[in-house]
Amino acid sequence: MRAIDAGILICVECHELNRQDADNDDQRCTRCGAKVHARRPDSLRRTWALLLTAALMYIPANVLPIMTVYSLGKGQADTIMSGVIELIHYDMVPIAIVVFVASILVPTFKLVGLALLLYSVQRHQPLSARQRGWMYRFIEWIGRWSMLDIFVITVLVALVNFGSLARIEAGFGAVAFCSVVVLTMLAAVTFDPRLIWDNTESDNDHD
Amino acid sequence: MSESADSTQLSALALEDLVACHECDLLMRKPALADGERAECPRCGFELYSHNHQVVRRSLALVIAALLLYVPANFLPIMQINVLGQTAEDTVWSGVLSLYAAGGLLKSIALVVFLCSMVIPLLKLLMQLAVLLSIRWNIGRSYGLLLYRIYHHLREWGMLEVYLMGILVSIVKLVDIASPTLDVGLGCFIALLLAQVWLEVTMSPHQIWEALAGGDAHARH
Repeated sequence: MRAIDAGILICVECHELNRQDADNDDQRCTRCGAKVHARRPDSLRRTWALLLTAALMYIPANVLPIMTVYSLGKGQADTIMSGVIELIHYDMVPIAIVVFVASILVPTFKLVGLALLLYSVQRHQPLSARQRGWMYRFIEWIGRWSMLDIFVITVLVALVNFGSLARIEAGFGAVAFCSVVVLTMLAAVTFDPRLIWDNTESDNDHD
Repeated sequence: MSESADSTQLSALALEDLVACHECDLLMRKPALADGERAECPRCGFELYSHNHQVVRRSLALVIAALLLYVPANFLPIMQINVLGQTAEDTVWSGVLSLYAAGGLLKSIALVVFLCSMVIPLLKLLMQLAVLLSIRWNIGRSYGLLLYRIYHHLREWGMLEVYLMGILVSIVKLVDIASPTLDVGLGCFIALLLAQVWLEVTMSPHQIWEALAGGDAHARH
């Protein structure tokens, strides 16, 4: 049985249970005072909006250089992918894998995964709810790790700053990439995972 | 844990005897937990809550340790490199400054990095300290509740562990060209990260909410 069927609302902030008050549009949690909703309002529409914006920024993030390395007057621009390839050339395969996963695999997986979750909720897909629940939790947990490349750029820009001899500058690809990470994190927060379970017919969906 | 078979009686129970999973909205009878135990949702597997020993006292010790480490971790040099006789140092703070100095749109990344690596981790620690003190001294519980709500919104935006990974990747990238030497700031940063992770594991939200709402017996000072 779902809490919503029993007329009970769970506070999204402190997880306290509240009896639903049908006459009150502005019901507050009895413990922490946050607004309580049966489901996050407009969850699907807001998540779609954030996700589509992120998908749009995903293109410049991958095409434009994220940083430029100047050495003795010559500049070499690096995109996310060329940075990974360069690491492989220097025989640093384990680190190349970490960067590849954090900067390319994770953002792509998040975009596709969230779109899949939204689609499955709207279309009442018979995908296992438990699996989709795991997927949502994974997307929510892993999102922040995509900031890795941004932090690497921060450290490198601060360290390698020797004027005309050698210096590293951040590029606009980094701005686009940073916005993809932030937007997909916001999209994951806006999505209400309870929607996944709302359109499963039975409560006994254990596998 | 009771299943949904007896669902007709569930809605008649008092709210204190019930718990609902905040991930899938399954309504259940509330299980009683002993110290160190945790409850999971039988349907979707999410952790409902856990019960730790002496939460307030242990968390206070950790939050104070983390706050003491905060300044050295952010302002002492993490590493140095040497290129043809010129030396350069990197601190968390100098990273933000040099991104900001590039100007234009890049200022926006500087701002995000500043927030995720310095401002939010500090705010989180200060809020945790205020919440714990409000429980311990029994003052300003309503402010404590508000701060703890804000804390939960900020939680995933503090990214110390990702920053540490970024430092490690940079070291590997630099190792062939500039032979970086590690400095004391890195040690402080790792210590800060460990204290913060340990604190998040210790400070079980369920017990803090109950203590803030007045049920002191659950937090056991």
